[in-house]
Amino acid sequence: MRLLKHRFTRLQAGTAGLPVAWLLLLLSAAAVANEELSHSFAAIDPPRSVPDFSLPDMDGELHTLQDYRGKVVLINFWATWCPPCRREMPALQELNNKLGDEAFAVLAINQWEDADHVFAYMGDLNVFPSFPILFDPESKVSAEFGVKGLPTSFLLDKQGRVVFRAVGGRAFDHPQVEQTIRRLLAAE
Amino acid sequence: MKRRCLQLLAAGLVMLCQPAVADSNIEKYVNPETGLLSWQSQGDALQLELIQVLPDYVRAVYSSRGLPREIVDKVSGYCVFGTILHNRSEGPVAYRVADWRYITPDGESHRIRTKTEWVQEWRDMGVAFRWSMLPDDQVFEVGDWGQGFTTIGLAPGSRFNLEYAWRVNDTTYTRTIEGVECAPAEAPVH
Repeated sequence: MRLLKHRFTRLQAGTAGLPVAWLLLLLSAAAVANEELSHSFAAIDPPRSVPDFSLPDMDGELHTLQDYRGKVVLINFWATWCPPCRREMPALQELNNKLGDEAFAVLAINQWEDADHVFAYMGDLNVFPSFPILFDPESKVSAEFGVKGLPTSFLLDKQGRVVFRAVGGRAFDHPQVEQTIRRLLAAE
Repeated sequence: MKRRCLQLLAAGLVMLCQPAVADSNIEKYVNPETGLLSWQSQGDALQLELIQVLPDYVRAVYSSRGLPREIVDKVSGYCVFGTILHNRSEGPVAYRVADWRYITPDGESHRIRTKTEWVQEWRDMGVAFRWSMLPDDQVFEVGDWGQGFTTIGLAPGSRFNLEYAWRVNDTTYTRTIEGVECAPAEAPVH
C-alpha cells in the first residue's frame, strides 16, 4: 500500500507512538471509560448544506464529498489520541458492514495526524476499517463543519445536507442508529 | 425605604434568573492508581467532571503531538484539568467558558484562559493545532458531551473555588465547586 506522505509542518515531526498521557488522563475518568455511549443524534432542522471538500485517503486517493451525492453519508471527525473516537471505530465498521452494500457511506476524517501514524493505529484494531479514512491535517474541513471538539459526527441525506449531528462519542452499532439511517435511505 | 424594596425586588429577580445551585452534589474522588483527584457534579443538566493532570502528563500530551517546546512549556506551566461535560437533561444545554471564574483564597475572581486565546497564540507562532482544549462554548443537544483541557493560571498544588455556569432555555444556572486543588508538581506517592 502506498501511504500518502502529507506535507505536514514541522509540528507533525514527533507524532510517532500513542500519546499515553492523554489516554491516561481520560481513561482515569472511569465514568467516561466505562459509561455506555449514547445513540442519540440531534436533528438539524432545517437541514443545512455543507461546503464540498476533497481530502486524501490512506492511499492518497482524493475523495470529494460531491461524489457521494445520492448516498446517505456518515461523517465522523476523529483522531487516534481521542479515547471516545477510538471507542467508536469498531462500531463504525460494524455499521458499515451492515449498510455498506446500500446507498450509504462512512467517511472518517482524521484531524492533525498522518497516514503512517493512523495506519499503525489501525493495525491494533481487530478489524481494519473498510470505509475511507480521510486526512484533514490543518483541520480546515472540520472548521467548515463547525466542529468544536472530537469526536463529532454528521449524518448527511442523499441531497448532501446535514440532517443529524452528534457531539461526543456515540454507539454507532445501536439498532436505532441503523433505523435512522434506513429512514434516510428510504426517503426520496 | 421604597428604593430599598425595589433593590431587594431587583436582586430577587436576578436570583430567579440565575438560580444558585447548592454544591452538595459535588463528589470528590481519588484515583486509586494515580492518587490524583477529580470532582464531579451530580444531578444537574450539565454534568461537569474535573480531573487533575500532572504537568508531566501535559508535557507528554503536547510533545507527542509534535508541538514546539515553547508551547509545551507554557501549557504545562498552567494548572491543567481534564474536563468532561455531559448534557444530562432532556433538552439543549449551553455553556461558555467565558462565563466561568476561579476564585483564589484571597477572594479575587479570575477569568479562565479560553481555547480561542490558546489557538490564537499558537496560530501566531505558525502552529495550526486547534485541539485538546475545552471548546469555548457549545450547545449540547440531548446525548451530546465533550471534553478537553481547562487551564487555570495557578501553581501546582494551589487551591481555588470554581464557579461555572450553563444555560437551559433562557435560564442561567451556576454552581461552585469549592476547594479544587491543582495537581501537584510530581505524581503523588500513595
